[in-house]
Amino acid sequence: MRLSDSPYVDVFAYGMFIAAILLLPLVMDDPFWLNRIAKYLVFGMLGVAIALSWGYAGILNLGQGLFFGIGAYMVAMSLKLQSYTSLQQGSDKPVPDFMLWNAEPGAPTDLCCIVPGSWIWQPFQAQWFGMVMSVVVPVVISYILATAIFRLRVSGVYVAIITLALVLLARLLLIDAQPLTNGFNGLTDLGWLTVAGIEFDPYLTATYYIIAVSLSVVLVLARLLISTRAGLILQSTRDDPKRSRFLGFDVATYQVFFFTVSAAIAGFAGMLYVIAAEFASPSFMDLTFSISMVVWAAVGGRSSLLGACIGAILINTIEASASETELLQESWRAVIGLIFVLVVLYLPRGLAGIGQETVDWIGRKAGISGRSRSGRVTNPSAAE
Amino acid sequence: MADILFIGLSLSSILLLIALGLAITYGAMGVINMAHGELVMIGAYTAVLSGIYLNFNMFVALPLAFFTAAAVGLLIEKLVIRRLYGRIIDTLLATWGVAILLQQAIRLQFGATFFDVTVPGLGPGLQNIDVPSFLNKPFDVAGFTVQPYRTFIIAVTLILAALTWYLFYRTRIGMQVRAIMRNPDMAASCGIDVRRVSALTFAYGSGLAGVAGVLLAGFKTVQPDMGAAVVVDGFLVVVVGGVGSLLGTGLAALLLGQINGIVAVLSNDIVARAVVFGVVIVLIMWRPQGLFSFKNR
Repeated sequence: MRLSDSPYVDVFAYGMFIAAILLLPLVMDDPFWLNRIAKYLVFGMLGVAIALSWGYAGILNLGQGLFFGIGAYMVAMSLKLQSYTSLQQGSDKPVPDFMLWNAEPGAPTDLCCIVPGSWIWQPFQAQWFGMVMSVVVPVVISYILATAIFRLRVSGVYVAIITLALVLLARLLLIDAQPLTNGFNGLTDLGWLTVAGIEFDPYLTATYYIIAVSLSVVLVLARLLISTRAGLILQSTRDDPKRSRFLGFDVATYQVFFFTVSAAIAGFAGMLYVIAAEFASPSFMDLTFSISMVVWAAVGGRSSLLGACIGAILINTIEASASETELLQESWRAVIGLIFVLVVLYLPRGLAGIGQETVDWIGRKAGISGRSRSGRVTNPSAAE
Repeated sequence: MADILFIGLSLSSILLLIALGLAITYGAMGVINMAHGELVMIGAYTAVLSGIYLNFNMFVALPLAFFTAAAVGLLIEKLVIRRLYGRIIDTLLATWGVAILLQQAIRLQFGATFFDVTVPGLGPGLQNIDVPSFLNKPFDVAGFTVQPYRTFIIAVTLILAALTWYLFYRTRIGMQVRAIMRNPDMAASCGIDVRRVSALTFAYGSGLAGVAGVLLAGFKTVQPDMGAAVVVDGFLVVVVGGVGSLLGTGLAALLLGQINGIVAVLSNDIVARAVVFGVVIVLIMWRPQGLFSFKNR
């Protein structure tokens, strides 16, 4: 029995990671960097979503940006209505400023009818509505999509191509609905998240904590979810869908469930990203962004939730450091390309794989072995 | 009506041009080559550079781009893809890395940027090539305005498609490729050098991308990320047409190009592309194996 199979190693690794992100503000007091790290923690959450659907369900979703983007836009619509930039431009009611620019002369400055279809913005005047919708809408869409895909028993690379086409389709529609969504420019000049009268400035340590705690909760829940009976059945459907079907499991149900959970996490991540970054843009639905998420997860370890999460945070942090100088930024992109080729060729289990090998090596040296076989483990040393 | 159909035909020919190479690398070899767009880009840059330094015009650049892109493709096959046959998702991921590397190689001018050297024709900026003037003058045939450059693209695409069909179905190596498509192990045990034939096939598909790059450069600006925009369309055409079917790829290109052209006239370009994506999603859900595909035993 290998040491990395021990559940204690898992608990230790997750505990170390959560402690690290929660204690970070104690050592880092630069609000600019703290805000940056908060955004990368959100990307870490996307890594968890990818690992859940790709690593555990065997479903490569190349359109995860769709759910992230929807989550982001939903909450951004609410926060947009809370910023009063349009009042400064001579509007009598707080309508989004770009609607004011797009409105026909003489149109009433009211959400009901300033531009065609603008009534859809009305419920977003309540902040909670946007926040709830940023998870609900991805769940509904992913449920419908996944039901269609998996009931028809579409599998493997075709799922990837369908999700990819779908995110590009959604992006085009978003851009085309310019009067409603501000098209290419996205939603900017957003207000701050306000809970019980407290405003969460994105550069506040409290905002960092909202994101860090959310990531910890998502990470732990996802980890618990994969060791439930449903999680184990899911992994069996990944390894051999036909056999699972013959054993009497309704394969599609498990696939739909985990696809939807993964989409919900992505939508939630989109919401948190807007709170930290103060904008939502169609670039969230770019093909590049969706594939980048998969890259982060692959480098971190596609079949390890924690590994994928750390991979996302690590790559983005290094990228941000490299982007301080332009030349370094361009060459860093080349390095990322190279790292990625090498990881796929020589390190299919990513950083998490290295972590497991190290833990096993320590185990053999110290003569300890794990007691039960459950789940996958990563090494906390990969976090630093 | 005729001019709308012509717009669609011209869009179809560009789709087919890009999809033809993919039909071979993805359709025949099961490799999702995300760097295919970058091979298109390399073809375009070959035309730009040979125009600047060797004063070559477009027609000379076509074969040159074919061999350049084929050589790069061969290198990619030897270094990366050779180790990944049968792991289709991994080929997608690894070639995505290759695509970034190729883009950055052009942007950083193969490293010359680090020494503050600027190579005209490379770098992150926009480039373009000159189309021979006789291909730029529209002329009328029986009241119908013919765009010579678009017609030229359609003609070249048809020639390449015919050539590819001939190679695949009328030559010895083509038969070997089709044998490998059906069953690589069986092909190997019949004495076919699977590695060599696969490498050559991949190089040929890459070469077609290079040719597509030169033709695209005639009406689009050439820039390091020009390939990323076209590669997805190419894949959708191949998947809709049916993996491994040249005829299917051709008909899918025709179908999607016409839908794009007609919807673009009725509404706008963005909606047209959205409709194409929608049609593709429905078609793939309905027939994941593609509209035309052979039955694997």
